[in-house]
Amino acid sequence: MTSLSDIPVIQTPPEAPARGGNPLANVFDDFIRYCRSRSLFMLHYCTGCGAIELPPAMTSRFDMERIGIQPMVTPRQADILLVTGYVSVKTLKRIILTYEQMASPKYVIGICSCTVNGGMYWQSYATAKKLNDYLPVDLYIAGCMPRPEAVIEGLKALRDNIEAGTSDNWKDYYQRYDHYLGNQQRLFGADWQTPTEVIAEAKHYGLFGPDTLGEHTRRLEDHRKPLEPLRMTLNAGRLEHME
Amino acid sequence: MNVASLLVELVLMPLVAFVVGLAMVLMMRRIAARLQRRVGPPFFQPLFDIVKLYGKHTQTSHGLVHDLGIVMAVGGYIAAETMLPVPGMTGIADKGGLVVLAYVMMVPSLGLALGVGQCANPNGSIGISRALTAMLAYDVPFIIVIFGVAFHFGSSNLITIAAAQQAAGIAGWGVSQMPLLALAGLFALHGMLGKQPFEIYVAPAEIATGPMVEMSGKHMGGLFVMQCFQLYTAAVLYVTLFLGGGENWLSFLAKSFAVLAVPVSLAYLFPRYRTEDLVRLMWKWPTMIGLLGLAFLMH
Repeated sequence: MTSLSDIPVIQTPPEAPARGGNPLANVFDDFIRYCRSRSLFMLHYCTGCGAIELPPAMTSRFDMERIGIQPMVTPRQADILLVTGYVSVKTLKRIILTYEQMASPKYVIGICSCTVNGGMYWQSYATAKKLNDYLPVDLYIAGCMPRPEAVIEGLKALRDNIEAGTSDNWKDYYQRYDHYLGNQQRLFGADWQTPTEVIAEAKHYGLFGPDTLGEHTRRLEDHRKPLEPLRMTLNAGRLEHME
Repeated sequence: MNVASLLVELVLMPLVAFVVGLAMVLMMRRIAARLQRRVGPPFFQPLFDIVKLYGKHTQTSHGLVHDLGIVMAVGGYIAAETMLPVPGMTGIADKGGLVVLAYVMMVPSLGLALGVGQCANPNGSIGISRALTAMLAYDVPFIIVIFGVAFHFGSSNLITIAAAQQAAGIAGWGVSQMPLLALAGLFALHGMLGKQPFEIYVAPAEIATGPMVEMSGKHMGGLFVMQCFQLYTAAVLYVTLFLGGGENWLSFLAKSFAVLAVPVSLAYLFPRYRTEDLVRLMWKWPTMIGLLGLAFLMH
């Protein structure tokens, strides 16, 4: 694309009117959305050098907690997945596993140039260039590396987006799963699978879209091995050793 | 007391406990922030966290016992709140008494253990085994303290204990009558809260918050509610046993928050004990102090 005007602009549909014309009908939803924007638990997946900017952003100098953000250590509890730096192919698998275990609504933030376009690892054969191809990124904080002020600014921008209801890329992962899975398969091979049943979740929570299924999810079914529980014996770990 | 007013009290007492508990969580986080020279969370942060967690779109449950475990964890404390007399409301404190309360206060840990068990996450199992070991550790001084107070006042009824202290004035308070037991009680209270020197079972960096590792959405929200109740229960029980209970809401809340501020302020200054060191510490110092206090009391 040569000029900016050629880039298609996605038109967001106008906001649906309140149910039954009652101005108070959405009060509860608005309240939950406000709480959601004011309380963000952050799982920092510190892959690269950007990790060093997070301790000052969290501790006494810049104090994230005053805007309601606090670090959490497991994907189950977290709302934000913070990817701070270059993502190697091997790391990306773990990031996707982590992302799929998080409870929606969930948000992905890419920090540093490396998550935007590969940055200084552009020519590396082992680095995933654009994080947005594999996960729905809500916000990029560009820079090499961004200062803590920029990190805080970015988090505030995410907070405002959530409050305005414009930050719902997590739905995109369900609705266009085929697209994301295709990109993942291109990198990891055709037999790539995760333990999380994304398609079943999309059906269960009413997030099924026309592009959830496609040629890549069909390929997933060909290669899918059923997940079986590990054998429960007292010395299961040792058996292999002895044989 | 007629049935209607009793029902109102049974509903109101846990509600009041929850609101006060939210403020206590806020105080805890603000104290931590001040000690670390931070600003700390906004006023409504504990409420935002809980609403957000319950408002999660996708909920991950690992089965029926996982859900029931959280219900037990919250329910145990709700039962405990109805047995803790507060100014103007006694609920079923008259029927319950200290012994039932001590039993009910163990239910949340056991419920959590059940729920975590079904998650089948090794971090969770390690965490809950440490939590139950810690419970074994702090319950010994806790029971000694409870026994001592009941012996001193000749009753295990919390209303009687509070009334006896209020009638005698500050000189008759548990803390002036039995300072050694009060000290041991403060130790046990600190262990019960699971704050810093005694928080090996949470250990975020090593076992990923232990029992909470698989909790998301409403399960985690339930645990946040449980934390509010936990802080309230521990503080109010201590106030009732040693600081004369509540004559009116103002002094009652002031005493409760002051009691809680002691372990919370100490908490953020220390690293943590290992589980065996925790047990050794709890079975040595508070138990010894408590037994010494008992000896003075019975002599």
